[in-house]
Amino acid sequence: MTKNVSVNNKRTFGEWLRSRDGQKVLVMFAFLILPMVLLMVFTYIPFAEMVRYSFYNMKYVGARKFVGLKNYIKVFSRKDCFGALKLSLYYMGGSVVQLTLALYLATILSFKVKGGNLFKGFMFFPFLINGIAIGFIFKFFYTRGFVFDTVLQWCGFELDNLPYWLKDRSINNISLVGTSVWRYFGQNMVLFIGAIMSVDGELYEAAMLDGANRFQQFKYIILPSIKTIFVLNVILSISGSLSAFEPPYVITDGANGTGTYFVVMHEIAHTQQKVGLASAMAVVLLIIIFIVTILQKLFFKYIFRNNEQ
Amino acid sequence: MKLKKVLALCLASVMVFSLAACGGTAEAVSETAEESAQSTEAEDTTAEETQEEAEEVKAEASDAAGEVPTYTQLDISKYSDVEASIKFLHHKTDRAEDGTMDKMVAQFNSEFPNIKVEMEAVTDYAEDSLLRLSTGDWGDVMFIPAVDKSDLADYFMPLDTLDNLSQQLNFVDQWEYEGQCYGIPYMANAQGVLYNKAVFKDAGIDKLPTTPSEFLDDLKLIKDNTDAIPLYTNYAAGWTMGAWDAYIGIVTNGDNTYMNQKFVHTASPFTDPGDDTGIYNLYRILYDAVANGLIEDDYTTTDWEGCKGMLNRGEIGTMVLGSWAFAQMQEAGDTPENVGYMPFPMTVGGKQYVAAGGDYNYCINVKASEENKLASLIFIKWMVEKSDWCFNEGGYTVVKGGKNPDMYAAFDGCEVTSDQPAKAGEETYLNDMNAESELSFNAGGNDKVQRIVEAAANGSEKLDDIYADWTEKWNAAQEELGISVDF
Repeated sequence: MTKNVSVNNKRTFGEWLRSRDGQKVLVMFAFLILPMVLLMVFTYIPFAEMVRYSFYNMKYVGARKFVGLKNYIKVFSRKDCFGALKLSLYYMGGSVVQLTLALYLATILSFKVKGGNLFKGFMFFPFLINGIAIGFIFKFFYTRGFVFDTVLQWCGFELDNLPYWLKDRSINNISLVGTSVWRYFGQNMVLFIGAIMSVDGELYEAAMLDGANRFQQFKYIILPSIKTIFVLNVILSISGSLSAFEPPYVITDGANGTGTYFVVMHEIAHTQQKVGLASAMAVVLLIIIFIVTILQKLFFKYIFRNNEQ
Repeated sequence: MKLKKVLALCLASVMVFSLAACGGTAEAVSETAEESAQSTEAEDTTAEETQEEAEEVKAEASDAAGEVPTYTQLDISKYSDVEASIKFLHHKTDRAEDGTMDKMVAQFNSEFPNIKVEMEAVTDYAEDSLLRLSTGDWGDVMFIPAVDKSDLADYFMPLDTLDNLSQQLNFVDQWEYEGQCYGIPYMANAQGVLYNKAVFKDAGIDKLPTTPSEFLDDLKLIKDNTDAIPLYTNYAAGWTMGAWDAYIGIVTNGDNTYMNQKFVHTASPFTDPGDDTGIYNLYRILYDAVANGLIEDDYTTTDWEGCKGMLNRGEIGTMVLGSWAFAQMQEAGDTPENVGYMPFPMTVGGKQYVAAGGDYNYCINVKASEENKLASLIFIKWMVEKSDWCFNEGGYTVVKGGKNPDMYAAFDGCEVTSDQPAKAGEETYLNDMNAESELSFNAGGNDKVQRIVEAAANGSEKLDDIYADWTEKWNAAQEELGISVDF
């Protein structure tokens, strides 16, 4: 563009606008302005506001007081704020199970299987249900003597030997993680299947001729080919587990040691009305997710370094 | 390949970023909404002024008073030709569904045919109403949510002075600020205990308990002699646990100035007075009942809707809830005659005290037009005095000298009183203390009561440890807010 201007700098703005270059810029802006405005108004401006609130001691209504970094100090010093992140380990453990299961089933289903589409549909189905509805389903599912206990009794378990799924503190978080695995593994699986489909079928034939078994095919053909989707899924699952909210909020209301970081944040923001502190918690979580994401990127770069060559 | 990688990274980080931003966005959006509401306020007032002028002309023509009269001045029989369209925001979703609200409005319209009342029932009222309030554009009549008393005048129209109102109505001091009342309760609740009469009879209890120890003995009897659950905690619903806070003050020590005046100035409110009274023994009932297995088998999966029928049928012995729940329990099954209501089992100085107080309070939007304010006041006055809503809900009468439902028969001989408002200049202390200490007494502090149940069931904490922790938080909040410790 600069070259153009120097060559023909007598052109007026109107002329420039009608020229090919001007039209290019105009079209670019016309197309960009709408998404940019939406992105600004609904993501970045509210986010900037939230960052600002995190420096105030404030409620939703009433006066605000600037307190500097006090809210951030509280996030790290309070047991219930930062301690709640420990629960994320349960959800991270769950996401490992979820991804393994999804990858396994995706690999099987991407080869010719009888009724494959039916299975895909069934396993993807939970993802289509609203998270709140899933919460209510599992609330009754785990109730003493209801669905889950009944099914286990068909399998020969005695009711007296079964734990209380939501009351027993040693397993209630696992019960909750189970619901989120159930909900999301179908979605991961469909993403994996999509990626596996794009692998050239001739590669399998060639590999079979070379005597590779199914597992070797998976390891040397499928896995490297779906690397990008795999990394994306892992990153989404891990950051999802850091911000787990729906299962504990709907099923147990965060009580009985199931209050994840988000549930605690919700409690602080809405019941205690400490909006500043809750905003600080949100900012801290964002930073944590950034760090974790970057670490994961580096980790996978290291893992897949051989394939680059 | 490189380009793809960069794209994937960008995509991933944008997705992650938007995920994380989600947590804060809702809060932030409501705040910006508030701010924009404030900025448009100026425009509103100018608009209002022109409207007022127009109205004045009209008022002169029709010879009606230009200013909105106060509640006690208002004689609603003279205003049957008022024309307006008002909006009423309320939390009674159940009454909206079963047609009670529509029936009442139809009745209202037979007397005031030209006041159109539009209603909206909000499920999560405590939270949603606050958000609506901050936008300023919520309608004309609502129930006052948890706001600071000093902010009342910014949102609501004063209805009358406390002196005038308290001559005609009970429990109007809840939203009083500097002598003006901003709200009138639609009904009042007395704080007692729900029980099933048949279960008590089967268990061999012939006299209602009057102390925590007697109550625990009776729960034991219910467990031994019947199949009913002695005390249903309703742990999972959360707010049903916070209902235990309602007994602090009048019930636990007979002092109606305690809750709003002395509590925030008390150094250690949770010590054991040693005579089966006090906050200590209030929550001890819950702790001991849980520790001795006198509650439901799996408290984490309790079902609020289901428990109503269970109490009615005699599958539950007792539940600790305000009197508002009584009518719902009666409606939930075939044996309403078995549902009973008794004073809380605590005796202070030989006498049982009952705390009564207003439920949600009607209020009027200060930003509404003059004619809508008048129509709203007429509507409120009619609802309070003519609709019988309070009586039908089993509420304690709001109108002085009004009739009380039969369920309060067991309250004869008890002293029924209501909490006095906070002293002038200290109106916000309790809210501030609740927020700072995060114990939130009578303000949604459900998790602290749930903690007692968890501690007793798992044996993870002793009751004294919990009280020590509360005292520590309470004292830290007093120090942080600079509230003097006088008791």
